[in-house]
Amino acid sequence: MPTSVSDRNGSMFQRRHSINQPVCFWFEDHEVVANQGDSIAAALLAAGLTQFRRSPVSGSPRAPYCMIGNCYECLVEIEGQGSVQACLVEAVEGMRVRVVSGSKSEARSTDN
Amino acid sequence: MIEHSADCQVAIVGAGPAGLAAACVLADKGVDVVVLDEQAIPGGQVFRAVEKVSTARSEDMGILGTGFSAGLQLVERFRASGAVYRPGVAVWEITSAHEPELSIGLAEKGVAQMLYPRHIILATGAMERPTPFPGWTLPGVMTVGAAQTLLKSSGLVPDSSVVLAGTGPLLYLYASQLLRAGVTPQAILDTRPPVSWHTHALALGALTACPGAMIQGLRWMHEIKKHTAVIANITSLKAYGKDQLRSVSYQATGQVCDLTAEVLLVHDGVIPNTWLSMSAGIEHHFDPVQQCWVPDVRGVGMTSRDSISIVGDTAGIAGAEVALLQGERVAREVLGQLDSPQPAKLLSTKEPLALRRRRRLRYFLDRYFPPTTQFQLPPDDNTIVCRCEEVTAGEIRQVAARGCMGPNQGKAFTRCGMGPCMGRKCAATVSQLMAEVRGMPVAEIGHYRIRPPIRPITVGQLADMPIRRESNDLAEAGASIYDTLAPGKNSTS
Amino acid sequence: MKSLDIAVIGGGLLGSAFAYGLSKLNRSVGLIDEGDNAIRTARGNFGLVWVQGKGRGMPQYARWSLKSANEWLAFSDELGENTGTTVGYHRPGGFCIAVDEEEFRANLKILAQLREEAGDDGYEYEVVENPALANQLPGIGPEVPGATYCPHDGHANPLRLLRALQEGLDLNGGAYLPHSCISRIVPLGSGGFELYSGGRLVAGCDKLVIAAGHGAGDLAAQLGLAVPVSPVQGQIVVTERSVNSLAYPTNYVRQTDEGSFMLGPSARDVGFDLDTQTSTLRNIVRQCTRAFPYLRDLRIQRSWAALRIMTPDGFPVYAQSAQFPGAFSFSCHSGVTLAAVHAQEVPQWVLDGKIPDAYQCFGPKRFNVPAQA
Repeated sequence: MPTSVSDRNGSMFQRRHSINQPVCFWFEDHEVVANQGDSIAAALLAAGLTQFRRSPVSGSPRAPYCMIGNCYECLVEIEGQGSVQACLVEAVEGMRVRVVSGSKSEARSTDN
Repeated sequence: MIEHSADCQVAIVGAGPAGLAAACVLADKGVDVVVLDEQAIPGGQVFRAVEKVSTARSEDMGILGTGFSAGLQLVERFRASGAVYRPGVAVWEITSAHEPELSIGLAEKGVAQMLYPRHIILATGAMERPTPFPGWTLPGVMTVGAAQTLLKSSGLVPDSSVVLAGTGPLLYLYASQLLRAGVTPQAILDTRPPVSWHTHALALGALTACPGAMIQGLRWMHEIKKHTAVIANITSLKAYGKDQLRSVSYQATGQVCDLTAEVLLVHDGVIPNTWLSMSAGIEHHFDPVQQCWVPDVRGVGMTSRDSISIVGDTAGIAGAEVALLQGERVAREVLGQLDSPQPAKLLSTKEPLALRRRRRLRYFLDRYFPPTTQFQLPPDDNTIVCRCEEVTAGEIRQVAARGCMGPNQGKAFTRCGMGPCMGRKCAATVSQLMAEVRGMPVAEIGHYRIRPPIRPITVGQLADMPIRRESNDLAEAGASIYDTLAPGKNSTS
Repeated sequence: MKSLDIAVIGGGLLGSAFAYGLSKLNRSVGLIDEGDNAIRTARGNFGLVWVQGKGRGMPQYARWSLKSANEWLAFSDELGENTGTTVGYHRPGGFCIAVDEEEFRANLKILAQLREEAGDDGYEYEVVENPALANQLPGIGPEVPGATYCPHDGHANPLRLLRALQEGLDLNGGAYLPHSCISRIVPLGSGGFELYSGGRLVAGCDKLVIAAGHGAGDLAAQLGLAVPVSPVQGQIVVTERSVNSLAYPTNYVRQTDEGSFMLGPSARDVGFDLDTQTSTLRNIVRQCTRAFPYLRDLRIQRSWAALRIMTPDGFPVYAQSAQFPGAFSFSCHSGVTLAAVHAQEVPQWVLDGKIPDAYQCFGPKRFNVPAQA
C-alpha cells in the first residue's frame, strides 16, 4: 500500500510558491491538490508520496528517478489504463489515479 | 482533438533548442513543418516550462539563470513561426528503411496513428548517464536532472538535508540554482578523481573561446564552496533505507562517512538519447571520450538514412547553444534536400566561429568531468544494474565470464534490458561491464538491439490504428498457419 | 587453435543441444559461435513444444516431434538440476485456436488428414467449440468458433533453454568459442577437419556437426552436401506482465512464467530482413485480440522479427557427408520442440558415425537438389 498522501512526514520536496491555479485529482481514495501544469508525479511528490509502486520482480519499493520519462519507475494507473508514466501526464481536474499492480501474483480486487 | 493531416514535409521530433530552432527556419521558408513533442509545452529539458515560469513564477527566472531565460525568446519565436506544434505526443517508431514510405508511429491521447513526412529531423536531446550504486533504487534517490525538472516545471525544491553526488556541469549548475532558491545542500560528494595538469591547461583554451561561460562556471563553484561542504574524490557511494532513503555513506581520504538524508540527487553527465535513432536502423558508433553511443553524423546532420537528420545533443553532447546554432544549420541543409533531393550532397561543413568556440569549451568540459568509474563499473557485485528486471552487476559479470559475448546475448540470458525502460538505464553499464570482463573495447562489445515500439502503446491502440499500406504477409486470412509454414506442401490433397 | 574430438558449428538451439548432449558422452566438444549481432534465430523463438498439426505428408516427423515432447520433461529436469537454470517447461496440453470459421475448417481438415496418414501411431486431439472453450480458456473471444486441443503440447522459455544448454556444456568441460564465424572447412587427409574464420584457424576436430542456421547451406556445400534452407520471417509482440492468466499455450498467444504475453505468429518472405513491419505487427495484434479481447489493455513491451530456418517442405534436413564421414549437418525450424531428442538421441548418431535408417527420410536426397560446391 502506498504511503498516505495526507501524511507530510515523508515529504521529499516542497513548493516554493503556494498553489495559485489548483487542480484536484484522486490518488486511490485521497484527494490531491496540484498546481496547473504539474505532472501527476510532481504533484504526488509534493503531496508527500514516497512510494509509487512495488517492483514486480522483488516487491521492492520504487519512486521516480529521472522525471523525464526514461526510467519507468513512476508507473501508475490513470483512468483505468495501467502502466502510465506519471511524469509525462499533466494533472487534470477529476483525474483518477491508482497504484498499478504489475505481476500475475498480485491479483487486485477492483470495484469498477 | 484537433484533426491533423497525416502528411507533412518535415517532421521534427523534440521541442528543445535544436528542434525549435530548426522549426523556426523551416517555417520561415514556408515549409509545412510539424514539431512532435512529448511534453505539453515547448522547451525540451533545458528550457522546460520557460513560458510558464516567466509568467506564473517570474521570481524563479533569476534563480534558474541566464542560460534558461535565453530559451524564452526562442520559444516565443517558435510560437509565432507558423510551424504546427503537436504537444503530448509519444513517438513510438520510425518505420524501417525497407518500407516504401517514410512514416512515424505516434500516440496522442491514447490513439495511435501514423504520420507520413518527407523528411524527419530527430532532436530528441539527451538523457542522464545511469548511476548504479548500492541502494540507488530506493525512493528518495533521484537524478539532479529530475530535481531540476521539478524546480522548473513545478517550483519544487528539496530541503537542506539534501545530498548531491557525482560530477558534471549540471550538478554544479543545479547546486547554484538551489543556493539562489535559499536551499543549502548538506553536502556535495564529488566523484571526480584529481584533475591532471594537462586538463587544467585545457581550461585556458576554453577560457579564451568562451570566457562568459567559463567565468560563470567559476563563480558557481566559488559560491557553492563558500556555503556548502564539497567533498572531493569520493568513492564507495551507498544509499541505505528500508522503504525509502534514510542515509548515505561514502568513502573519502580513507574514511567511511555517513550522512542522514531523505533525498540524494546523483548526476554523472548526460549522453545522447539514441533510442529512437537506433530503432530507426541508423548507424551509431561508440565515442571513447564521452563514453557513450553516438549516431554517425556526416555533413550537416546527415545520417545513414537519407531522409532522417539528427541535430542537438542526440548527435553528440554539446549543450544548448550548439544545439540552437546547429538546429538552424540542419534546417537549411534539409531545405536544400527538399528542393533537390540527392543523397548526402555535402554543403560546406565548416562550422561558424560561434559553434567552433562552443566546441572548444565542450572539449575541455568532457575532460574536466569524465564519467565516474564506480558508476560505469560498479565494484559491488550486488549492485542492481538493470532496475526493471533487478539484474545485478555480479550476474552480468558471471555470464560474460562464461562466454556471453555481448549485451544482446546477456539480455537473452539474464533478462537484463527486457523491462519497460528498454535498457535506457542499464545499456551503458552493461556494455562497460562486459567489455571489462571480456577484455574487449566497448565499441566491439556493442549495444542492445533497439526495436519499436520505443514508447509504450497498448495492444488495442495498435490494433485500432489505420495504416495506409498493408503488409506482405504470406498468411492469408482464413488459412491455417500449418499451410503457411510448410511452403512446399500441397494442402488440398 | 583448439583441438577437439567434435566441433559443433552454431551456438543456437540446435548446436547448443548437440554440444550439450555430446559433452555428456565424455568427448572433448567445442561449440563454435559467431558474434552478438548476427541473425541469431534462436533468440526469436516463440517457445512452443508442439506436436499437433505436424507431419502432414511425413508421419515420421509427427512421431519424432511426439517422441521429443515425451522426453522433454526429463530432459529439462536434468538440465535444471545440473545447471541451476530452470527452463520453465509446462505441458498442460495446447490449443490451436481458429479466429474464424474458415480457419477452423482448414485446421480440422489438416488434423483429419494427419490422423488418416498416421493410423494407429497418430497422436490424440480433441475438438472444443465455443462456448465450452471458455472453461479452459477464460476470456476467449466470442467470435472464436473453436479450437483443437492436444494433450501432448506444452511450452518452455527458449532463452533459458539456450542458457541452460550452454551452462551444461560448460559444466561438462565443453568449450564455447564465440566471435568465430566459420567461413571455411578444410577436410584433412587423416580424416579430421580444420575450421577457419576468415584467415584465422579456430579449431581442429575429428568429427564435425554443422548447426549453423542460415549459414548451413554454404558450409554443408563445402562437404558435398546440399542443404536447402531459406529464411521465413516471423514477428512476435510481447506485452507487459499481466494479472490475467492463460493456463495453456496456444498457436496465437502464450503466457510466460513472468506473466507477460507473447503474441504471434506471422510469416513473410523478405530475405534476410530483420526489421519489423508495422502492418504485420498490427495483423498479429488484431488476430490475437480476436482470440483474447482482454489483451487490448496491455502495453506492448517489445517486438522483434526472427528468421525461421525453413526447408522446402518444412521438415528437418538431417544430412551426413558420404564424401567426408564424420561430418553432419542438421537444420530445422522447431529447435525448441526437438531440443530433447537433439540433446539425447542425435549425439549418439554422431558418435556412431551414422544417421539411423529410421531417420533417413529427413535426408536431403528427398529434394534432388544438386549441391553447389
